[in-house]
Amino acid sequence: MNRGYGLSRLWVNSLFLLPALLVFTVFLIYPVANSFYYSFTDWNGIALAPKYIGLENYRELLGDSDVWNSLKNTFIIALLFTLGVNVIALALALCLQGSHWIQKGLRVWFLIPLMISPLAIGYVWSFFYSPIGGILNMLLESVGLSFMTQDWLGNPKLAIYSVIFSSIWQSMALSMIIYVAGLQAIPRDLYEAADIDGAGMLRRFTTVTFPLVAPAFTINMVVTMIFGLKKFDIIFIMTGGGPGGATENLAIHLYNQAFTYNRMGYGSAIAILMFLIIFVLSLFQVKILRNREVEY
Amino acid sequence: MTNVSKKAAPVLQALVLAVWSFIVLVPLLVVILNSFKTMEELRFSPLSLPGALRLSNYAEAFLEANMLRAFGNSAIITVISVLCIVLFASMAAYPLARSDAGWSKFIYLYFLSGIMVPFQLAMVPLYKLLNVLDLIGKHFGVIMIYASGALALAIFLNTGFLKTVPRDLEEAAMMDGAGKMRTFWLIVFPLVKPITSTVVITNSLFIWNDFFVPLLFLQSKSAQTIPLSIYAFRNENMTEWPLIFAAVVLASLPLIALFLALQKHFIQGLASGAVKG
Repeated sequence: MNRGYGLSRLWVNSLFLLPALLVFTVFLIYPVANSFYYSFTDWNGIALAPKYIGLENYRELLGDSDVWNSLKNTFIIALLFTLGVNVIALALALCLQGSHWIQKGLRVWFLIPLMISPLAIGYVWSFFYSPIGGILNMLLESVGLSFMTQDWLGNPKLAIYSVIFSSIWQSMALSMIIYVAGLQAIPRDLYEAADIDGAGMLRRFTTVTFPLVAPAFTINMVVTMIFGLKKFDIIFIMTGGGPGGATENLAIHLYNQAFTYNRMGYGSAIAILMFLIIFVLSLFQVKILRNREVEY
Repeated sequence: MTNVSKKAAPVLQALVLAVWSFIVLVPLLVVILNSFKTMEELRFSPLSLPGALRLSNYAEAFLEANMLRAFGNSAIITVISVLCIVLFASMAAYPLARSDAGWSKFIYLYFLSGIMVPFQLAMVPLYKLLNVLDLIGKHFGVIMIYASGALALAIFLNTGFLKTVPRDLEEAAMMDGAGKMRTFWLIVFPLVKPITSTVVITNSLFIWNDFFVPLLFLQSKSAQTIPLSIYAFRNENMTEWPLIFAAVVLASLPLIALFLALQKHFIQGLASGAVKG
């Protein structure tokens, strides 16, 4: 085959690569590279020539108690979101791996919240949680648990958990579907072998199901953790980071610094911190989780 | 399984499913019921059925939140962005999956570097870039942002999938005299369909419902997407919950209807990308 080699091949290959390279470079890599540059400046979003201030933003970052607070919240949200989503998704997937019509129907039903914008979900749950006339308190009172009624979003100790739960409620099903697919791919004879060995429900799960659902587990853990670290919409709508910074994570803090206070340079430094955290944690997770995947 | 667990398992499963079904149901039901009520009705009995099937909230939300225009804007942005992502990613993946040359590996790694980058890292300079290019408040700018953000993962999935597909078909097509372009459209693009459906589904969902990017770059009233128009509508009707709920229902209906119509493909598409990628 003569065609396809030499210059013409290079030309055709670049034709295939060019659109993606162009868009990716201009609208992602170039801005990202600029972020590193801006993080060394005092740019306010308007000035044409931002002033170079060296490591000043990073020095401020380390001493900024708001950053430490939002860092703590970022970790709490990501951790509980990841755990909550994966525990609930796996538990439901175990109940839904069959092909009974009820199981098929419930898979669809559980996915409905995922179709709704996080913004709308935020409004719905704000109403649900509100201290006066809120549905949650009303439900608790109606079943005689009125001592448990709370200002779910106004109480700084509780607000973060209320937001996390709403977020789990919305996006849990995405992971559930991936777990269902993973579970359905497990060969039946492995379960039969476990049955013959007299394994109980718990042993079946720990020796067959859990090790073999590992690829789905890896994907879900990494993806939900990255989502969890970047949460913005639902927090922005439900609490705006309040009360008193109790739900403010890095994404919200960054938005406020960059676009409310026009501190674009400082915002860029926060963005780089956020990137480093996501990058290191994902690599770390992939490495650990890949190790426990088994071939079969 | 032992006898006890054999009997207990289905009961436990049914219980787990019933609890989560209920947890999903309640907020959705509250929204729908209250979207038909007046403010007094809602304040008095938020959990009861509405007294009448009042559609005035819907009419008001539809008109005041400029829903029709917002639907149009969201549809244009979602469709064009997803089209760009699917085409550009599958095209780029073809030479990357079929060549072992140094340049190919280099470009592949270059694209991969984008997977871990959070949007926030590009956000501040993007604001300046779009300003310089006069793209603030324009659909094109937002479309490019969505495309650039999604390309890395889409290329990764496409390349990985394509590497597992034998080249026989392509070589046969080339033997028959088809050029590389023709081979791509006739053979390769149909082959990567499982990945394409995953890419289409996840990105459509994300872009249609995204609030953050339009909040930063699409504030002008005529360019607003659905989430942004609801946001503006809420800010004008702070605690008029029946109105807000009517807007929420209206905004959510198109995607839910589409999902229900295509749910089988949707669920398969989500799972196939995760398993094969």
